[in-house]
Amino acid sequence: MRKMIAIKNFSLPGMFLAALLGLALFQPAGAQTVYKGGKAPVRESKEPLRVIMIGAHPDDAEGKSGGTAALWAAAGARVQLVSVTNGDAGHQSQGGGALARRRAAEGRRAAKILGVSWRTLDFHDGELVPSLEARWAVIRAIRNWKADIVISHRPNDYHPDHRYTGQLVQDAAYMVAVPNICPDTPRLERNPIFMYFSDRFQKPYPFIADVVVDVGAVIEKKIAALAEMDSQMFEWLPWIGGSLNQVPQGKEERFEWYRKRRFRARKGRENRYYEQAAERYGKARAENVQFVEAFEVCEYGSRPSRKELWDLFPK
Amino acid sequence: MQKRFFPLLTVLQTVLLLVAFTQIASAQTVYKEGKAPARESKNPLRVIMVGAHPDDAEVKGGGTAALWAEQGAKVMLVSVTNGDAGHQSQGGGALARRRAAESRRSAEFLGVSWRTLDFHDGELVPSLRAREAVMRAIREWQADIVISHRPNDYHPDHRYTGQLVQDVAYMCAVPNLCPDTPRLEKNPIFMYFADRFKKPYPFIVDVAVDVDRVMDKKWASIDAMESQMYEWLPWIAGYLDEVPRDKAARFKWLKEWRSPRMLGWTEKSRDVLIQRYGKERGEKVKFAEIFELCEYGSRPGREELWNLFPK
Repeated sequence: MRKMIAIKNFSLPGMFLAALLGLALFQPAGAQTVYKGGKAPVRESKEPLRVIMIGAHPDDAEGKSGGTAALWAAAGARVQLVSVTNGDAGHQSQGGGALARRRAAEGRRAAKILGVSWRTLDFHDGELVPSLEARWAVIRAIRNWKADIVISHRPNDYHPDHRYTGQLVQDAAYMVAVPNICPDTPRLERNPIFMYFSDRFQKPYPFIADVVVDVGAVIEKKIAALAEMDSQMFEWLPWIGGSLNQVPQGKEERFEWYRKRRFRARKGRENRYYEQAAERYGKARAENVQFVEAFEVCEYGSRPSRKELWDLFPK
Repeated sequence: MQKRFFPLLTVLQTVLLLVAFTQIASAQTVYKEGKAPARESKNPLRVIMVGAHPDDAEVKGGGTAALWAEQGAKVMLVSVTNGDAGHQSQGGGALARRRAAESRRSAEFLGVSWRTLDFHDGELVPSLRAREAVMRAIREWQADIVISHRPNDYHPDHRYTGQLVQDVAYMCAVPNLCPDTPRLEKNPIFMYFADRFKKPYPFIVDVAVDVDRVMDKKWASIDAMESQMYEWLPWIAGYLDEVPRDKAARFKWLKEWRSPRMLGWTEKSRDVLIQRYGKERGEKVKFAEIFELCEYGSRPGREELWNLFPK
């Protein structure tokens, strides 16, 4: 009552209260879009394109699609690389929180080079299971990024964390548009396009390259980004592969060693995706394409035509 | 006084004990010569269709269910989840109750039974708890034929329902699993509902059923799912605005909207329809329902399978 009277009398505190009240009322109205004529509360961008690449470990998305990410970023797209696990088991002599923090710092440095955003969902490395808790974390990450395109592993990749990341992301398809699921995070109005990173596995069926991207123009960025992940490229991966003693000491020397080892250019027909590159880029350019990243369409997301899909990916 | 009633009590106690023993003896069949206690019917045929949500089995197998029911088969439609997430403005227990009521009306049109296993919608995982619930449902219905989703359908609840049902195949005959519920003596025939997915391999039409004769029943059963057909599904697809207000008009709209995918099943199975019904009738079928044989159940020959399905 007292407040009402104060407002009626245009007292200074009353006006202040009214302004506060107005602000308070305005805020939720802006955040919660009212249901009207079938329109739901929506957080989705049209422009620029928003892409989220979800790997199992810090270095997976970078290794499989760092070049495409850099090309997209250079073209103005908003790209986020996500590591579902924090990578806290990926080392021969380090581990736990200390390793997770080291790898997060590496992930951020690599992302900076590629011009993209980075985060981890902080699940333990080597212990990922397709739980509801993990599915919800993936759903929230995709919604928060307002993704138009989601890229992850096939559920038949070699590492259980990769397979379950693939399964979790598949299980987020469609559900990201269902408002009663994770109701704390606004749904996406449109089921994004879901894609798979490439892999070499033949069962139950071999990887299908629906889109190939010539990443030659940004290959130096990609190599530099991956080389930021010291713990992996110069310590853990050579160790588990039995070649730790081959890693040179000096920074420049080991960088060159890494480049030669991992990024041998395969020109033209030597390239695994030569046919697909010829289709997308024409035969003349395909002959000179050296570095390619490839992606397969998942059946559970939006299903663009080939032309639509090719127009969305950087060229 | 007490002594006078004592003999009467003793007689009553003896009778009760005898009755109890008889019950136990009849309920627990004795293991003999490798025969295990079994609950399985020969006649009439018993079919259970296990969908992820209330409306899945109805849309994919409702016509076949109605035809079977007309022939005297006992058919039950099951929804593993209670559907409590499938709406834009409703949810939880209230929505689950609404959808259960819709499904019971729908089942009445088809002449079949209905139940839900009451798992939360959108949260189904292939847990042992869920597998046991599916196993008990299949055993309790004493099913000869079990039909469910392929484990590569579009919705995680569909995929996990498919996986759970697959995981019950064979296990429903193992007496040490869910020992509270009598096992099935014979592993039922397990089949899949139609879907449009190509990976890891496209759907294979092992049986096609001409459902034209019962389409009125099927449409009525789908029309009964108001919360889905006129509210949620048009909303999530982005055309709630197109749904007519008038009941007759919206029913007509429903048929136009839902027909193309069902007609797709007919096109996909034209060859099988002609083989099963002969050229003249096979070419004329408008609406068909199609099913694929799962490798983990009993494996009848084609003729045997075709004879089991309504024609």
